[in-house]
Amino acid sequence: MGTSDLDRQIEQLKRCEPLTEAEVKALCLKAMEILVEESNVQRVDAPVTICGDIHGQFYDMKELFKVGGDCPKTNYLFLGDFVDRGFYSVETFLLLLALKVRYPDRITLIRGNHESRQITQIRVIDRKQEVPHDGAMCDLLWSDPEDAVDGWGLSPRGAGFLFGGNVVSSFNHTNNIDYICRAHQLVMEGFKWMFNNKIVTVWSAPNYCYRCGNVAAILELDENLNKQFRVFEAAPHESRGVPAKRPAPDYFL
Amino acid sequence: MTKAAEAWEGPTAAELKAAGAEAIPGGVRVKGWVIRSHNGPILNSASLQLFEDKLQTTHLPEMVFGESFLSLQHAQTGIRLYFNALDALKAWKHEALPPVEVPAAAKWKFRSKPSDQVILDYDYTFTTPYNGSDALVQNPDSIQTSLDEPRNLCWEDSEDRIDLVALSAKEPILFYDEVILYEDELADNGISFLTVRVRVMPTGWFLLLRFWLRVDGVLMRLRDTRVYCSFGSDEAKPIVLRECCWREATFASLSAKGYPSDSAAYGDPNLIAHKLPVVMQKIQKLKLPN
Repeated sequence: MGTSDLDRQIEQLKRCEPLTEAEVKALCLKAMEILVEESNVQRVDAPVTICGDIHGQFYDMKELFKVGGDCPKTNYLFLGDFVDRGFYSVETFLLLLALKVRYPDRITLIRGNHESRQITQIRVIDRKQEVPHDGAMCDLLWSDPEDAVDGWGLSPRGAGFLFGGNVVSSFNHTNNIDYICRAHQLVMEGFKWMFNNKIVTVWSAPNYCYRCGNVAAILELDENLNKQFRVFEAAPHESRGVPAKRPAPDYFL
Repeated sequence: MTKAAEAWEGPTAAELKAAGAEAIPGGVRVKGWVIRSHNGPILNSASLQLFEDKLQTTHLPEMVFGESFLSLQHAQTGIRLYFNALDALKAWKHEALPPVEVPAAAKWKFRSKPSDQVILDYDYTFTTPYNGSDALVQNPDSIQTSLDEPRNLCWEDSEDRIDLVALSAKEPILFYDEVILYEDELADNGISFLTVRVRVMPTGWFLLLRFWLRVDGVLMRLRDTRVYCSFGSDEAKPIVLRECCWREATFASLSAKGYPSDSAAYGDPNLIAHKLPVVMQKIQKLKLPN
């Protein structure tokens, strides 16, 4: 697969037009080659722009690129949850994957819990890649910060940890980091600091599910790690190709 | 909850006129009733704090549509029925069901845990017995966001049934809306939502308040409240019937009956309601205030 092929595919995907099955397969194989070389703990150098959940809201992701700049000019880190909920999961993920293959050093993609679910629901796919219910990977995917505890909490679901301010402070201190940037939880204002600016949640799906009315944000770090949140709104209705919002009446009983 | 297949332009002027109805902003006025709805955004940080204070909890559904409501008010009697997220969550807090363990919990029991861990035990499914807020409104012009008035309406047990035949008639729809009050994806373990739908016809109005919960691999709960008002001959004396029907089943019990046990088979509560056994049912009639 040559660069010109890839550039054409990227242009096509930017118009939200799907690729052929053969093209998708070739893209996936190429992406595997790249991803297998990346380490489990990936180093990303600043400047970098950090993005949270996208959830298949393709036209809103295009707004994100308008605000943040195009890849490769901007170096991106996506924190996962590319799919589910929106109308364009496949197109959204394929565009990000194509960018990854074309510019491997300018975009980093992390797998979110929704990528896990999608994959494990397809029975014909070998499930050995499912995230185990123990160990670091599991804890990274299924833990959330929680105001109600200082230390550790167990979710009322019986699976999944919750962590409080003390845990975050000690983690940041041990690892010599300023703060944790994570995604995965919806926030009306696009980003939310917790525990005295020791952890920040970034959410990048504006008007989530096309009805939440929230704004979205990305976090830009410059070469000196100075932070700037860029807040953006959903794509204008007419540019999304989504049916009008007014529900058609039905004779429900 | 479904994506609208086509845009609805609303009732025609002729349909409204024939029914003696009038379109008003966000609703309709018909046979002495003013019926209005509003779909707002989810709570922002400030209103979230307000909800947390009022409910005395820091745990709320991922999406709370705090400004959204459905209101049905009858001017002559002062009857007002009202549906909103805050009152529904008050009822959730009050019922306080024990949490439901997800399938992965079994594996988590055997894994290493921090020694000082706190186990949170609130009902994360947000199951609510809410069947609407009601009040007797003295001043019909007053608009309130939540009803804390001392005079509530009186509902009496009834042998009557909601007239499904009348409701099946394809009358013109003068007003229709669906209002989502709250929703949560249970951290990818299923779905929980509370919505209310309303349709207003020339002969009456009908609404369905639905709480739907599916904890994947564990259980489903469907709590429906249907309220029907047949306009009848006397505009001053509306007949309002309320039917509550709660259904519940575990995936294990469905599987034992030979029904599918994967969550994909239980996406639409309309299609599977009949497979879930009824655990509570009651029918009440609204007693008209003196």
